[in-house]
Formats: sequence, structure tokens, C-alpha cells
Amino acid sequence: MEQDEFAMILTSAAIHDEWKRGRIVLDPFDESQLNPNSYNFRLGNTLRVYSGSPLDVKRENAFREIEIGPKGFVLEQHRLYLASTLEVMGSTHYAPTFAARSSVARLGLFINLSASLGDIGFIGQWTLQLFSIHRLRIYPGMKIGQIMWWTPKGDIELYDGKYQGSRGPQSTLIYRDFLAERTAV
Amino acid sequence: MIATGPTIEREVQAGRITISPFRREQIEPNSYAFRLGPELLVPRHRELDAAQGVDCDRVEIPTDGLCLEPGRLYLGSTAETIGSTDYAATLYARRSTATAGIWIQFSAPLGHTGAIIPWTLEVMVTQPTIIYGGMLIGKIAFWLPRGDVLPYGGKYASSTGVTPSKLSLELWSRTSSR
Repeated sequence: MEQDEFAMILTSAAIHDEWKRGRIVLDPFDESQLNPNSYNFRLGNTLRVYSGSPLDVKRENAFREIEIGPKGFVLEQHRLYLASTLEVMGSTHYAPTFAARSSVARLGLFINLSASLGDIGFIGQWTLQLFSIHRLRIYPGMKIGQIMWWTPKGDIELYDGKYQGSRGPQSTLIYRDFLAERTAV
Repeated sequence: MIATGPTIEREVQAGRITISPFRREQIEPNSYAFRLGPELLVPRHRELDAAQGVDCDRVEIPTDGLCLEPGRLYLGSTAETIGSTDYAATLYARRSTATAGIWIQFSAPLGHTGAIIPWTLEVMVTQPTIIYGGMLIGKIAFWLPRGDVLPYGGKYASSTGVTPSKLSLELWSRTSSR
């Protein structure tokens, strides 16, 4: 793709081209999921909920998993469910952001909690944070969100963090930040 | 265009991006990870008025953490003073924060070019959650703008810590005519 000085967000055609060249990973890929400047991704079939209270960001928190059957699953209102994208997604060339589809937001469902920026070089199934304002029945494989790609400025150092390659909904590993600092001091 | 980690580091060295204190290990592939400042402001009343100042309790986060309750707004701030006269900024929760059920802002991610401040964060939790002062909580990205830059000179330009809404300053005529 030709880079112009002010190239910003990738268009549908650019996403498609970069996918063909292997510079953007969207797996499985379906052309019908391309939008004018994003790609619609689907919901995987597993949910994860934390089972203890309170949560403590310094510790590992217990959880249980729920399989969403073909008839769907009703999310309780005001409760956090970790889910994942069905697709493996990422890029070593572009910075990603993701958002709910507007059709999903209009049902009162958050798919992330103010965490819409990803990292260049992360490639995996993305963990979503589902939080619904109403009780809401959701279905596996539904097109739930969209991912956008942004041109970076400068040299790239690829993501090499604690979630690389993740599959399915993954709990926070934030407690590891505290362990790392204890060893660093 | 979004600044990569190496670009952020170079621009900090060149003085075009301010991050203070700056720690190289907090650079991410296309953002900088910031920490939560030591105190929170908690609105004292359950009903707020957009045309009135907000009464808040100031809470120092104890060393052994503070348990936040769901359904309440807590204002926090970045521990760092951050901003740029050359780039626009956007703020996000880290994945580790969001998957712990913590929001750090409410649909207001954009920071203006020219604002160099500790950023006030809107913190909310999905379930009771213990948090700590100084924890890595969010990340800030820098975007190269197109066009002439009109630097920010708004009502939060002189913020030095957690700062509640000053929307009432825009609505004063409404209250005074009441």
C-alpha cells in the first residue's frame, strides 16, 4: 500500500490488501465482514466470570467459565463477563483499536471498559469485557465488534507482553505487574 | 499517525512530549503506560447538578489498597504529568485493568494538544475491587495532527492533580438567572 504522509486509518480496501499480503491477521477472514474503515469480528463461545469478591488487583482471582449454547446466554445486567473474539487478529505493521458495533452499543452492551487501544505485534484472540445495562441474550458467532487499523509513525518494536498469542477469554494478569516491581526494586 | 514506542521515547528526549516522571520500561509498542496517582476524589452526594460545583471527599489510597464499590464514580489522576505541544493524546485503560473490571474514563479519551498536566481519570468498577496507588492503570497514545496547532488554554490547563468537573463555570448564567 502506498504510504502518504497523512495516512491515518485504513479503509476497507487497504485492510483487504494488507490481509492478502499477510501484514494484517484476521483468521478466519470473510470479505463480507469488511466495513468502510474496520472489520467486524465475531463472539467466541466461552465466557469467564470472576467467582470471588472483592477482586484484588495484586492477586490471582478465582473464576469460572460458561459455554454459550446455540440458543444463546442471558447476560445479567451490571455484571462483568470476559469473552473473546472468535477470530485471531493482529498486525506487525499497524496499531489496532477496537469498538463495539453500533448495533451492539444500541442494545446497551459495552464490549470493553475504556480499553480500546491494542498493541502493534499482538496476535491472538482478543479478550472482550462484556458489561450490559439490561439483561441481554447474546449468541455465539454474532458479529459483536469492529477492529480498526492505524498507520504508525516511527520505528516499530513489536508487542512481547504477557498476553501474546492468547486464546479464549483470559483473566487479568495485572498481579504480575506488582511481582515484577518487587523483583525490580 | 500514531506514535510508536521508539517515537515516544525520542520525542520525550527532544522535549516535544512531556512525561514526568519518565521510566523507559513503561513504554509500550504504541503508547506509554501510566500510573494511578495517590488520591481519589469521591462525590459526596448521589445527585449532582451540572451547573453547580461538585462536593467531593478527598481520599488518600492506603498502602494496603482501597476497595472501590461498583456503581460509584471515583476521580483519580495519572501519577505523571503528561502532554505535548505537538501531538494530540488519547487515554485508555490497559487490558490488565479493563479485564479486572475497571474503567478509567467514560467515553472521553481525547486529550488536547498543549495540555501538559496530570490527567484526571474517571474510575468505576464492575464489582468490589481493591486498587493501589502507583499501580500501572492506563496507557496514553500520541497522534500526529494535521494542520496548524491551536494550543489548549482551557479550564483544566493548570491542573496539578485530581480535578473535578468545572462544567458549572459554563453554566453559571443559568444558575444566576434562577
